Amino acid sequence: MFKAVLNVPPAEPKDIRWFYDKYAAMLLGYINGIVKDHQKAEDHLVVILMAFANEFNGEVKDKNYQSTWLQLRQFAQNKLAFASVNSDQPIQKDDQLNLLNDLQKHIFCAIYYQGKSISYLANVLEKEEDEVRNQLKLSIDKMRRARGN
Amino acid sequence: MDSGLMETFVMGIATEEEVEKVLLLKKQHPEFQDALEQLELDMEALALSMAVPPPIGALEKIENEINEIQLRNKSIQKAPEVDDRFDRAYQERTKQERYIEVESESNQMRINKAWKWVFAAVFILGKVFLATAIYFYLENRQAQEQIKDLKIELKLKTPIK
Repeated sequence: MFKAVLNVPPAEPKDIRWFYDKYAAMLLGYINGIVKDHQKAEDHLVVILMAFANEFNGEVKDKNYQSTWLQLRQFAQNKLAFASVNSDQPIQKDDQLNLLNDLQKHIFCAIYYQGKSISYLANVLEKEEDEVRNQLKLSIDKMRRARGN
Repeated sequence: MDSGLMETFVMGIATEEEVEKVLLLKKQHPEFQDALEQLELDMEALALSMAVPPPIGALEKIENEINEIQLRNKSIQKAPEVDDRFDRAYQERTKQERYIEVESESNQMRINKAWKWVFAAVFILGKVFLATAIYFYLENRQAQEQIKDLKIELKLKTPIK
């Protein structure tokens, strides 16, 4: 359970409020991209944050990732595996995705929101795995560059 | 770094083999680790740019739910202890109330405390029977003596023909 719930003095920054302030909006945006229904996304947000709090105790358990966000995103993706809507494109107002061409957008969204594997996409798109991997890299690079990174 | 391995890794779709490769490269090459950490930060920044403000009251809802779960877990953890302690004390007490320990030659045996009253009743009845038997024995002996005396008296009173 989070430290805040356990009445640990607030000197510890990783309490539920801190966690919520930092990740809730990002997570809701991510869930929106998966379920494509704002009301449902809000319901999922509460359930996923609570499940994450209970399961991981506010700590990053997956030592593979340095970033808590990546672990939270992965957790949400697993939880919503059956809730994802298999349409071609998620509803996103975000300009970042508009930087990508159709193929890149398709590949990025299928991987980012639905966790599709490279081999699966290569098979569906009738392309080489390296080509899919390369398109994914290109799409991420484009968005990073657009943000000045 | 240009193979797209880092991207598949941070997207969470790397195969086990790829994950092992990434972890090995991270250990062996600090520049790879730096690039990976930067990519992770950039993915976080990307998610931030796609963020949607959560509805008002969501945090309170989550806090309440977590507190409820916390309380439920605490009560679940405490309940068996209380029950267990109560059960043990209760069993100990009832054991003391219902059984008395009786020593025998071989080893101990436990009997129900209710048998105490049966034993007392049997003891008292035994005494009563004994007293009654003695009483009737004395009565009978007295009666026999009286009969004997009467017979002698009759013999003396009866005229000899």
